Amino acid sequence: MSGTDRLYTPEIYSAFLFDAMKHINAGIEELELYEFRYALDNIHPEEGWDSVVLDKQEEIERRIVSRDFYTRIQLRPRAGDRIVLDENILCLTRMLFTGLVSGKYPEAWLRRYFYFDIRGFYFVPRTVYFTEAVLAHFGGKPYKSFEQRQKRFDRLQEIGYKEFKEANSEIDQAFSESLKTLIDARGLPLIITLAGPTAAGKTEITERLLKRFEQTGRKSTTIEVDNFLLDREYRDDKPMGKESTHFGLFMRSLEMILQRKKITIPRYDFVYATSSHDLDGNLKPKCIPLEIEPADIIFMEGNFPFHMEALSNLIGIKAVYLTDDPIRLKRKWKRDIDYLKKYDPAYFRNRFFRTQFLRAEECYQPLMKVCDIVADTTGAALWATPEIARILDQN
Amino acid sequence: MTTIDLNDSNAFSEVLFEKMKQINPGISDLELYEFRYGLNDLIPEKGWGFVKLDPKEEIEKRLNSRAFYDAIQIKPKVADRIVLDEQIIRLAQMLFVGLITGEYEQDWIKMHFYFDIRGFYFLHRTLYFTENVLAHFGGRPFKRFEQKQKHFDRNQALGYKDFKEANADIDALFIECVKRIIAFRGTPILLAIAGPTAAGKTEIVERLRSAFEQAGQQVTSIELDNFLTDREYREAKGIHSEGKRAVHFGLFKQSLEDITLGKKISIPRYDTVYGTSSHDLDGNLKPEGVPIEIEPADIIFIEGNFPFLLEEVVPLIGIKVVYLTDDPVRIKRKWKRDIDYRKKYDPSYLRNRFFKDQFIMAQIAYLPQMEVCDMTVDTTGAALWVTPEISKILMAV
Repeated sequence: MSGTDRLYTPEIYSAFLFDAMKHINAGIEELELYEFRYALDNIHPEEGWDSVVLDKQEEIERRIVSRDFYTRIQLRPRAGDRIVLDENILCLTRMLFTGLVSGKYPEAWLRRYFYFDIRGFYFVPRTVYFTEAVLAHFGGKPYKSFEQRQKRFDRLQEIGYKEFKEANSEIDQAFSESLKTLIDARGLPLIITLAGPTAAGKTEITERLLKRFEQTGRKSTTIEVDNFLLDREYRDDKPMGKESTHFGLFMRSLEMILQRKKITIPRYDFVYATSSHDLDGNLKPKCIPLEIEPADIIFMEGNFPFHMEALSNLIGIKAVYLTDDPIRLKRKWKRDIDYLKKYDPAYFRNRFFRTQFLRAEECYQPLMKVCDIVADTTGAALWATPEIARILDQN
Repeated sequence: MTTIDLNDSNAFSEVLFEKMKQINPGISDLELYEFRYGLNDLIPEKGWGFVKLDPKEEIEKRLNSRAFYDAIQIKPKVADRIVLDEQIIRLAQMLFVGLITGEYEQDWIKMHFYFDIRGFYFLHRTLYFTENVLAHFGGRPFKRFEQKQKHFDRNQALGYKDFKEANADIDALFIECVKRIIAFRGTPILLAIAGPTAAGKTEIVERLRSAFEQAGQQVTSIELDNFLTDREYREAKGIHSEGKRAVHFGLFKQSLEDITLGKKISIPRYDTVYGTSSHDLDGNLKPEGVPIEIEPADIIFIEGNFPFLLEEVVPLIGIKVVYLTDDPVRIKRKWKRDIDYRKKYDPSYLRNRFFKDQFIMAQIAYLPQMEVCDMTVDTTGAALWVTPEISKILMAV
């Protein structure tokens, strides 16, 4: 049967797609055909699979690296009273499925540019974090590599923190050792920034680093940078930076804590999306700021553009903690949907698709080009700049 | 009694986390912070110290009363989100606090409830093997296997592949027994399989069907829902989809009799979208109605939830089966199938509905059918139960 003939009968289409998709994502092998069909039914085009128009590969490649494509993704499109998948996301997955069935899109091409999330049952473009500029910054190769134990999650549909932590134990250990060496090599007090995408495990690794450094007799503390956010209504979706935060307060706070002074910083309320401080940086009536005692090591966790020049001199070590997108998505299914029940699942799918690209472009890629050290837990590799590598090797 | 301050919510969740590992070992796969995320939704507004605990007897009584389940709302909303029903939340809060203070013993909780991790709530254990049912089967199963579904104890969701594998022994014996009964009773024969949602009915029917077809037998099926009368009529009369008055009963009985005699039958067609039958209330074809024609066959499956709930048709059905899977396993299958793959419901809607339907459906459909069926396949208990009469047939062939 020719590729296009398979498009006319839904049973033939789905059976062929089911087998072909096992090569795209091995986890599909865990499904029965009927389970795959249940999921596929939700995105069956009204006019049949043969009505799906296939764009050229080059055109698709261009689209998925253009910011416009992502900013247009709607987070809460509705059909009746239900939130549904954004039309462009839906269209992409339908196209890729159909191109795979008809043979127009080669498997290798699909795998190179996209990953398929089973639980979300959709394709998400792969974001490249290690761009040429980033690779050049780190001298082309990682400082240290380990066995990629996250491979064992390939077939899972969601991941809890316990197994995630276990898989990362070697790289986490190396990361923690390296930070310790760097701290010893630099003077105290010292600010360490830890940036990284959502669900990469920032909070957990920060907590463990804190404990570790306390054991060595050093006083540590953390500042969650989100506390410096302005009220949501003033941010208009702007990425984190000068215009969306109490930037003056932020700079002053860092300068003061480096002088071993106790600082008083704004407190951000995630439920109401409001800051304890007004736009002029004054405490609002009835609001309570956060007090942070001086310390030797100050961890700043969150996604502030730490690469900004004004900040650079204040920060002792700029670290990025990465986990690949397909794995983060699986962690979020477990954490944010199963445990926290925080979002509607369709809203969540739209939002992950959209922000994965936008955040990488706004935050992680620029930061990675200037940071000192990157822990990539999926690649099980620690990346350090030549300068940092020298310090690590000497100690 | 406890020394923790119930209003210290951090201490509360930490102790609860440890205690809950005894109730459901799957909790051990969570980190404390993940457990706290799950608990978030259930934290009482005024704190755990304000949760009033009902006496155990009262809770037991309530959880065995139909009225309690009838009152469960399946779509209560806060702002525009569906949330867990208030009574379900209150139950979970009470059990958590009682577990911490020691007012409710661990064993008592485990005996009457199970905890679903993904839903993060307690559900009542429905007893399927009641005294009546046990008596009907002569007090013990026909055969038992290793309970391989035990492997799923720690799972939070369950796909069909794993499920099928765990049931391989019991399913194989079941298929073999059905073949033997058919060999003994002869064809044409009516075969009905009832069972709760996500027990695996559709899949086992598919496998029986292909086993028969391979043996060269003609197979057909009758979908019970096609006999439903117009929805408008049923709603006006306050009858839902159960009972004699919900269906074209005369036609139903006649059709079963005819097809067992090897005759071709013409049955009503029910349109699920419009809720209308092809036939009027007197059982006559409506002018624009198109009936369904069913050719004679050796083995005729009757599909639906209540195939032998109606007393008058019981004697017509050659083999009456109830296909069961325990509630804690079924809900895990539904998380995977209905929520993850099908994306059919809002997750909170599923939580409310499962809690409610589990009890009600057992009372109105499965328990009564277990009391009259020929065999019950309990895939979780890995046991096949048959009546003494069927047992004799199986031993003889």
